Amino acid sequence: MTFTPLDFVLIGVVALFGIGLYGLLITRNLIKIVMVLQILVKAAIMALVLAGKSSGNPGLGQSIAVTVIVADTIVAVIGLALAIQIRQHFGTLDTREVSRLQG
Amino acid sequence: MSGVLIVLVLALPWFGALIVGLSGGGRMAWAQHTLAVLFSTLTALAALALLFFTSSQPAISLAFGPAFGDLTFVADGLAVSLTVIASVIGALAVVFSVDYMRGEEQLGRYYFMVLLFIGAMNALVLSGNLLFTFFFWEITALCSYGLISFHNDDPKAVAGGIKALIITQIGGVGLLAGTLVAFSALHSYQIADLLAKANTLPMPVLSLIAFCFLAAGAAKSAQFPFHTWLPDAMEAPTPVSALIHAATMVNAGIYLLARFYPAFAGVPGWALAVTVVGMVSALLGALMALTATDLKRILAYSTISQLGYMVYAIGVGAVFASQFHLLSHAVFKALLFLAAGAVIHSIGTRDLRKMGGLGSKMPFVRDVFVIGALALAGLPIFNGFWSKELVLEAGLQNGPFWIYLVMLLGVGLSAFYSMRVTRLVFFGTEREHLHIHPSGVFMRIAMWLLALGTLTTWLFVGTFSVLLTHSLPFHHLEVVSTLGMVADVLFAPATWITLGIITAGVGVLALRQRRSTDAFPTLEWFDTLTESGFGFEPLNHKLVAWTQRIATILQKTQTGQLNWNILGIAGALLIVLVVLWWGR
Repeated sequence: MTFTPLDFVLIGVVALFGIGLYGLLITRNLIKIVMVLQILVKAAIMALVLAGKSSGNPGLGQSIAVTVIVADTIVAVIGLALAIQIRQHFGTLDTREVSRLQG
Repeated sequence: MSGVLIVLVLALPWFGALIVGLSGGGRMAWAQHTLAVLFSTLTALAALALLFFTSSQPAISLAFGPAFGDLTFVADGLAVSLTVIASVIGALAVVFSVDYMRGEEQLGRYYFMVLLFIGAMNALVLSGNLLFTFFFWEITALCSYGLISFHNDDPKAVAGGIKALIITQIGGVGLLAGTLVAFSALHSYQIADLLAKANTLPMPVLSLIAFCFLAAGAAKSAQFPFHTWLPDAMEAPTPVSALIHAATMVNAGIYLLARFYPAFAGVPGWALAVTVVGMVSALLGALMALTATDLKRILAYSTISQLGYMVYAIGVGAVFASQFHLLSHAVFKALLFLAAGAVIHSIGTRDLRKMGGLGSKMPFVRDVFVIGALALAGLPIFNGFWSKELVLEAGLQNGPFWIYLVMLLGVGLSAFYSMRVTRLVFFGTEREHLHIHPSGVFMRIAMWLLALGTLTTWLFVGTFSVLLTHSLPFHHLEVVSTLGMVADVLFAPATWITLGIITAGVGVLALRQRRSTDAFPTLEWFDTLTESGFGFEPLNHKLVAWTQRIATILQKTQTGQLNWNILGIAGALLIVLVVLWWGR
């Protein structure tokens, strides 16, 4: 069984996605949630580029990937800002604690 | 040219909505009033100008990709007449609001909703793309909800708004389902395509679309069995009731049925179903209006009843008569609502039991209300007479005879309740001493113009008929001239039968009044029956209770924990992947 370079990218996508999903499943720390979200989105970006390449339309895939990067940066910034606010307000970053406090 | 006008008719109210909504309240209230009047008047003028540019071909066509099809706007007679009704009556309601809403806080929100609604209604009727019709349909529902609940510190207003939203949503789902079925069969969202190719569709598909659209129309137009939302919508400020719940939004359902009548007329049972829905609504509405003691609710019940006449007319194939009655009804019902609003504004109550003998204190309002009530009763000269006669004549010729008899009974009842409400408000003895504060000049302008319309719109029946006939290729309408219509109506025996029934209705009222000094003679079983909306209100409550019980059970699945939600998403993804792999 031979691997083409594209297959390695696919393996990378699946691996990153798996790490991100696993992180979302287990973590309760807001900062870590933002981090694993970043990992998940990186998997999605790679998948977009890969899909563009393998469908013979690399320009489209890359332009969408750039758009996702922009949107994703905003998500990270706002997520971290919220995390700081929550930390200052509640004194904890544990999501379960925060949702138990109710406001 | 028509393209420019269509853009104006849509953009002016929406742009105005943004500006008025964003301009501040408080000391700037006069600016908000002025801007709202300005934009709605310009919209009305653009809509009137559009009358001269009707055509059955799309005036605007924007490519929107394969998923949505082209966004087209077709300025044909049916669409333009409804645009004119919505814009002109909308402008008059806004003018009326200047006095009615004076001193109200959050004017920005009010005018935003009203102007957004006018634009959405125009877009809804002008759109030639069913999917976009659905979008605009939903915007009108949203505006209706926002305006019914305008006084959002009043729990009754909030409940009424939610009720209207939910019940009209059933109609929205029907419209969406019908649209998607039509798309899957025809691969086009264009209304013209559906009308042209309807007879090539297999009958089960066509009848599915037809009945979905009937449910949509009935829910939007407050027809049986969805009629319960309209009376509760009366919590809205009165100009809104005049604009949305009498003159325009409730007409969207009639519009839908009239638009697609040529496509669905051949579906077995559809025309009869439409006729029966119209008949039941007309009768129920009239019966509930008999005993109600809330001024606005009586008008709401009579709206259900009159809309029933329009639906009935479509059911028996008289699309022109239904549209003509729609025009008449929009004008005189807006007049009645605005006059009722002037009364409510003056004395601060909607309860009929506290009114009485107001006529001598507010002669102008009394005069215009009497004009509106006579048109509602269907007495000659007023526009309601001519259109109701056309509807009933078509019903006698093409519909089942027993339904015609029921509709005649409804005519008698409407004469009875319209005279009853006029008498209880403006004549007789004063029941409670009320402080009256006079109606403003803007109110008078709006009411005066509508009263003029009630006396004269029937003179344009010839023009209206030409307008509809020339631009609706699928409806096969015949041109009716004004003189021909007058002669036709005057020499038809049906007219004299109807007039006899109306006289009987008024006579019964007079007899009852003479015999008993009590202004509110009651039949207890009848009162309980009408108050429960003929058993539909308890049914509604039961449905709501069941929904809430199910929601409480399902609530347990919502932990609010991120990890559990992710597990659910991942699990669902896994299932989808397994199914896809399996079916490979």
